Amino acid sequence: MKSRLSEVRRARPLLGTFVEITVDGLNASDAGHAIDEAFRVIEEVQCRMSFHDPGSTLSFLNRNAGHLAVPVDHWTFHVLECAAELHALSGGVFDVTVAPQLQTLGFLPVAGSGGGAPVSRDMSFADVELLPDRRVRFRNPNVKIDLGGIAKGFAVDQAIAALQNIGVPRGLVNAGGDLRAFGPEGFPVFIRHPDDPGSALLSFRLTNAALATSGHYFADRIVAGAKRGPIVNVRRGQLAHIVTSATVRASRATQADALTKVVMIRGEESLPVLNYFRADAIFVGRGGKTRCSSDWHETLDLPS
Amino acid sequence: MTSWKPLAIVPAIIMTSAQCFAVTYFTVEQAQKAIFPGASFSPAGITLTATQRKAIEKASGVRLRTAPKIWRVAGGGWFIVDEVLGKHEFITYAVGLKANGLVQQIEIMDYRESYGSEVRDPKWRAQFAGKTAQAPLKLDQDIRNISGATLSSRHVTEGVRRLLALYEIALK
Repeated sequence: MKSRLSEVRRARPLLGTFVEITVDGLNASDAGHAIDEAFRVIEEVQCRMSFHDPGSTLSFLNRNAGHLAVPVDHWTFHVLECAAELHALSGGVFDVTVAPQLQTLGFLPVAGSGGGAPVSRDMSFADVELLPDRRVRFRNPNVKIDLGGIAKGFAVDQAIAALQNIGVPRGLVNAGGDLRAFGPEGFPVFIRHPDDPGSALLSFRLTNAALATSGHYFADRIVAGAKRGPIVNVRRGQLAHIVTSATVRASRATQADALTKVVMIRGEESLPVLNYFRADAIFVGRGGKTRCSSDWHETLDLPS
Repeated sequence: MTSWKPLAIVPAIIMTSAQCFAVTYFTVEQAQKAIFPGASFSPAGITLTATQRKAIEKASGVRLRTAPKIWRVAGGGWFIVDEVLGKHEFITYAVGLKANGLVQQIEIMDYRESYGSEVRDPKWRAQFAGKTAQAPLKLDQDIRNISGATLSSRHVTEGVRRLLALYEIALK
């Protein structure tokens, strides 16, 4: 699985992690230009949707949508529409208004969003109104949105679109583990082992699809004596901890990214929503038991 | 898709070789060309005094462990190579600054992950000093495209903050 000589790879710190872009089939100079363009697109997504940047569109929304209907750009509105669809189809499990719980637990900063909001079980994404003309309003000023569970995937999709529009025949964009490949032959991918980040759970060839993995490897904190990661089960207001790693394969990175959160919380019960998006999943549960959705299992050709 | 099948994951695939998982993206010359195409560079020959180092650390809130390598860009601007060390990562990166000190571009040059204690050992890190993409170190080039929560880029963004303070104090 040696890399091809014509592959050009670059990496930059973006979206709070490292974004790596691989381009194949162009000469070095054209590849460099294509990669620059794709990174510019990723920066644009960061500019609009970063919770950590007080100047982002999202931060502006968080500070003001509780008081008036705020018009947003089409990318931000599109991501919110995707979040709404995922919220409905996952029975409320995927919920981007989880920010207050994450602020309380110290995973998200308070500044920029207009102050830490009190945690309330009564608020949810149902309190977010998506109005005509791309305006957004919160029914309650304490609602705060964090797009961390979906924006990385969206950034990957936009970067892929930019590469394809420029005429790149084959490429891969990897934003901190949320990745998507396009073009002939695909790319070898490795899924990190949840208990041993230096080793892989498995590896396979990904062709014209997106892959996202959620886990707690580097983001864990010790909360009340037990290790917890920043995936919150909004219904219970608690941090999810039964599934240690969830990987989703889907046609778009936006949905793959978001669906990993649903699989982390619902495990086997996430099958219907995965089916809806024609997505597949592998997850590691209690005691290291690993499950794979049956269609994907056939192509992986592994012992059961 | 109708059901879940169990998956046997034994044995785990080791991604890190004896040393670490590593990718080299740029040599110094390649990074210079990528950030300032067509430009020529001269080493800035700047040695920071203890006072300057303290001022840089105070202004940025970040320790200055190793001196960054600085080049002057003909026509204006600066090209700087710096390194950051985290718990499991050792990263070399390049920053291009415009003549007015604003960031032009950031590129990762070398990215290394290690889960043993090697990354904290200066002798281990010294193996990588000044290496180019053609270095004969046996790093596994087949391991790539990893899915799974990766490290935060916080150390690099802090490093860039440190370099911006360095520009204010020593280059402007």
